[in-house]
Amino acid sequence: MARYGMALDYKNCINCKACEVACKEENGVLLGADKHRIWVGVKEIEGEYPLLDIVSSTFVPSQCQHCEDAPCQEVCPTHATYYDENNVVRVDSDKCILCSYCMNACPYDARYVDDRTMTVDKCTFCSDTRLARGETTTACQNTCPTKVRTFGDLDDYDSEISELLRTRDHFSLKANLGTNPKLFYLT
Amino acid sequence: MIAKAKEFITTIPVNKVSIKDLLSFEKSPRNMLVAVLTVAFIALFVIGVATYLVHGHHAYNVTREHPWGLLIAVYIFFVVSSTGLCIIGSLGDVFGFKDYELISKRAIFGSIVTILAGFAVIAFEIGHPVRMLIYNILSPGLTSAIWWMGTLYGIYLTFMIVEFVFLLKGDMKSAKTFGLIGLLVGLAAHSNLGSVFGFLNARPISNGVFYPTYFILTAFITGVYLAYIMMGFRYKLDFPAEVKKMLTGLAKIQGLLISILIFFVAWKMLTDVYGGMPNRAEVATHIFHSWTFWAEVILAMLIPLFVILRDMGKSPVLFFWVSLSGMVGVFFMRYNLVHDTQLKPLQMLKVKEYQLPPEWIHYFPSMTEIMISLGGLGLCVAMYYVGTKFFNLDSDH
Repeated sequence: MARYGMALDYKNCINCKACEVACKEENGVLLGADKHRIWVGVKEIEGEYPLLDIVSSTFVPSQCQHCEDAPCQEVCPTHATYYDENNVVRVDSDKCILCSYCMNACPYDARYVDDRTMTVDKCTFCSDTRLARGETTTACQNTCPTKVRTFGDLDDYDSEISELLRTRDHFSLKANLGTNPKLFYLT
Repeated sequence: MIAKAKEFITTIPVNKVSIKDLLSFEKSPRNMLVAVLTVAFIALFVIGVATYLVHGHHAYNVTREHPWGLLIAVYIFFVVSSTGLCIIGSLGDVFGFKDYELISKRAIFGSIVTILAGFAVIAFEIGHPVRMLIYNILSPGLTSAIWWMGTLYGIYLTFMIVEFVFLLKGDMKSAKTFGLIGLLVGLAAHSNLGSVFGFLNARPISNGVFYPTYFILTAFITGVYLAYIMMGFRYKLDFPAEVKKMLTGLAKIQGLLISILIFFVAWKMLTDVYGGMPNRAEVATHIFHSWTFWAEVILAMLIPLFVILRDMGKSPVLFFWVSLSGMVGVFFMRYNLVHDTQLKPLQMLKVKEYQLPPEWIHYFPSMTEIMISLGGLGLCVAMYYVGTKFFNLDSDH
């Protein structure tokens, strides 16, 4: 029993996309499903040439926010979307009817149709793969060269992520919607 | 018990109809046009379904950003029609308005065929419809508006069929009981359909109480249009006095309903545009500039209201034609509702990736979606036609 979350030191992101590649490799995301499971958003450089504000360009890695109050879970008509024992938002592909309501309800555009199972899929914090094998990191975290991501148990006072959230300012995406995301962007 | 049930079923008045009878109808140009279009639409349905079965959702133009397309809109179109006809049918046999009893049986039958057509269309939009039937019961998602909507519509259909059987048997007391329960369940189902959009806190343009209430109002309006269309075909636009009286009454009700609808829509648009709420105001402004919004307003609201106000509904023939164009407007109403909900891209932080994202999500239905949608219309008309042969849909009074 844990309450997994992820802190992103997003200003360290260099947009190398190693996380996207590692995620695809680990979770078998099909070719062509680019920016579906995790992605790096790029904020455009501000200003006009030659007066470009180089530092205004930032990279924003993102994925499913694993909300505490996930709209996708609430709207699922067959309980295919559920919270597992570690509070990770998961999809039971045997129950998914592909009504796509969760895709419309997710404020973070974090869901996509997996063409292998023809059901809706999403980031699972590698629950089916790495965590199931007893590892304690996600593929995207493990591969990141600048240590943008820190994954861990939010209920464990001594975990690295708890320490980070205690000592660093952070924000959540679309916090006004009341979804209580478990992805935290460190400032 | 079984013997009683058997007797109940065998005593349902059904006309004996041969294949020859089914195929015989007055070969007037209007009837021939409807017949040819119906057969063509059903053929398109078969081709569309075959394409879908081979290619799955790839045969549709729905995307990750715009997961709901034309088939959802057409499903809503049909179930709105069904709820509307249920309301019209209930005026006479549930609420006891004598003038409207003569359309009760026909309207209730219409509500059954329209919802069946809706189910036929949605079956090819839901990725796993059989799985849906199983897990809807085994693992119900009670916080999901789709669960409530689907389940209540299933119950509603059952009550409508039972009510129709009692109407056929002339058992008005039982018909009233089942009709009232069916109407209440239908209204609950229909407002839940509105809440499917109303609960979306990710989509400020749809979020809120507007759609659940608006759906009931527009269902009533759709029911009146369909009542005119069904009676127009039944009497070949040569209406007897009592039918004319009923249609005039319906037109007056329609005038009030459309006025309320215009009031609702005007204030929704005004508060959306000028309320200045992010992700709502700019979407509403975009909608305001789309031709499909104006098709909805002109065809389903302004023209019908103008025609009604001209002589307070005393021209049923003219209003029959207006009802046809009104239904086109109602189709746009449903299409706009689905499309507009998904207009705004969700990833606000992804300002630029490998290429610029579209400012608005674009969608145009694929041929397969169009074929299945037209097929739904063909199935609806065909089922209604067969029903007119098998059952006496005229009032017994």
